[in-house]
Amino acid sequence: MNFFNVIRWIVWKDLVTELRSRETISSMVFFALIVILIFSFSFSMDQQAAREVIAGIIWVAFAFTGIIGLGKSFSAELQNDCIEALQMVPESKGAIYLGKVAANFLFIFVVEILLFPMFVIFFNLDVVEEISLLLLIFFLATLGLSAVGTLFSALTVQIRAREVMLPILLLPMVVPVMIAAVEATKGALNGDPLPMYSQWLELLAIFDVIFTVVSFWMFEFVMDN
Amino acid sequence: MTAIACQAISKSYGHYEVLHDISLTIQEGECFSLFGPNGAGKTTLLKILATLQRPSEGRYEILGLDGLKEKETIRANMMFLAHGAYLYDDLNAKENLAFALALRGQTPTDRDMKLALDRVGIGAFAEMKIRNYSAGMKKRLALAKAMLAKPKVLLLDEPFTALDTAGTEIMREYIRERLSENGAVLMSTHDHDKARPITSRAGMLNQGMLKEISLEALKSDELF
Amino acid sequence: MIIHRVIRKVQRFQGWFGGGAALCIIAGLYIGLIGSPPDYYQGEVVRIMYVHVPLAHTSLFAYIVLSIGSMWYLWKRDPIVDNMCHAVAAIGAIFTTLALATGMIWGKPTWNTWWTWDARLTSYTIMLMILIGYLMLRTFIDDSEKEARYAAVLAILGLVDLPIIHFSVEWWRTLHQPQSISMRGVSISSGILIPLMCMSIGMSLLFSYMLMVRTQLLYLDRLLHAKKGRLMSQFHMSKTDP
Repeated sequence: MNFFNVIRWIVWKDLVTELRSRETISSMVFFALIVILIFSFSFSMDQQAAREVIAGIIWVAFAFTGIIGLGKSFSAELQNDCIEALQMVPESKGAIYLGKVAANFLFIFVVEILLFPMFVIFFNLDVVEEISLLLLIFFLATLGLSAVGTLFSALTVQIRAREVMLPILLLPMVVPVMIAAVEATKGALNGDPLPMYSQWLELLAIFDVIFTVVSFWMFEFVMDN
Repeated sequence: MTAIACQAISKSYGHYEVLHDISLTIQEGECFSLFGPNGAGKTTLLKILATLQRPSEGRYEILGLDGLKEKETIRANMMFLAHGAYLYDDLNAKENLAFALALRGQTPTDRDMKLALDRVGIGAFAEMKIRNYSAGMKKRLALAKAMLAKPKVLLLDEPFTALDTAGTEIMREYIRERLSENGAVLMSTHDHDKARPITSRAGMLNQGMLKEISLEALKSDELF
Repeated sequence: MIIHRVIRKVQRFQGWFGGGAALCIIAGLYIGLIGSPPDYYQGEVVRIMYVHVPLAHTSLFAYIVLSIGSMWYLWKRDPIVDNMCHAVAAIGAIFTTLALATGMIWGKPTWNTWWTWDARLTSYTIMLMILIGYLMLRTFIDDSEKEARYAAVLAILGLVDLPIIHFSVEWWRTLHQPQSISMRGVSISSGILIPLMCMSIGMSLLFSYMLMVRTQLLYLDRLLHAKKGRLMSQFHMSKTDP
């Protein structure tokens, strides 16, 4: 079916261009490293203080890095007006949405995997036992972030002042993701028993499902007139 | 059969009315050339007919399909060669062709792509990244895309800019081929010398209003 | 189109809405500020509730109207519905700001702080941010059809998000700080209920009145621009035509 073909080709195109130019992932990683550095200056951290704020720092860094990647996702389509070609695809625009979400999710998730060891080293975290749970939290939160972010990336790239408008529109919308991700990460890093913070994982999962469906539907109106 | 029919199309951006009450009918096998000064609204009209923008008022049909409701079917049978070439800088020519056609639901063979690239004269650069292409080469690659897609309706925005003499001849040859296969072509241009040999009807767009002009008038330079 | 007929009909009663709003608000303020006794727990401070609570309810109502209008617009693509959405967003932003301001003023004497990350205050703040983002977005698009479409998408996404935001903030609050002060201290006696009802009805009428006036204003503005553009292009044509 052509719908799934379109998804596959979009993912293929984004991955190949990224492998060749390495623009998105390298700029994201480098930006995140600077964020980590600045945070470590802003707090004089002993072990106890680090425990309190580290989850927040991780997610602020991930969210800002994610916004960089999401913004690039559709601004790359502006070269040679490629976005118009996407608008003229004779297929439901949801296919393009799903392809882009998959690519964005992959980029952000890879960057998170690369960055997390830095947090572990710089802030002396003890994560060996909780690593699979942490990965699950990263997975769910990143999916939510890319589900809403891909829609807003496509929307803001077609207006004036696009660099400013993406974070302004996106961040208030993903407040639930941020709260849930920070609370769950804090729980996992503290070594709390899972039932104490499993509600946040459920919230993330619910958010992911609802916003993938709603954004999938709304993407039609963003890309098509 | 009527390929393009638009009735009383208007388009405004904020305070400006770019197009005013445009009505136009193009039959299959016809090539309509749209002349007019910069800012006359040529590109806007083409974008509306390419289903990229919605007219503020009026309606249009392409191949008998409603332009506001049956967009997907129209898009599968139409191709728009716009000012931007719709190419990705980090992909090579073949990958760009394969990607663009795959989105249209077509899967050209490697041989077809090679033939098309040879025909537009860039077969030697098939494996080169588009980033290193010149504007004329990009235009030729976009033309190769149209050759593989074989659309019923072809919309061209300034098809001759950036093309050299040989490129212009390839473009005109392709337009003739489409017309002989009963396709319809609507192109905007300001180069009446290059457009004249293939034009079957012509129109002058000025300040958002369209006036049809005769082919004789096209030969005299008074209009321009 | 049905909406045009509805608007024309409502237009005739517009004055009644304005008059009714003035009457209700004056009566509510009189009873609330002078006619009713001070609250047993909160004293005179409780009187700000007569302004704050109706404002908060109306701004929530405004958001619901906005999202219903946005869905309607995406469905029917009627530009006047978009004018209504634009109007309701601006009015909603003002009402939300006022609700937050009165909430802060109320919070100072009762909670002894201007601001607390209370669930309701936080979700209202996020709602205000979404509304402001909505209004900003509208100024950054030239094509009015695209502006209407994108604005509607944002409003609908916000509608889906608001309940999730509210619940997540509430969970987060209960986790970090047990709710110390709640409205339960205020007994709803008839002395409070009558002015509160008066003010609520008055604010809803005021909101409706403002909405009607502003929608018409934006509608006429759009017609004016269209007319102006047409005249301009005709003028240019007559100049260029021999």
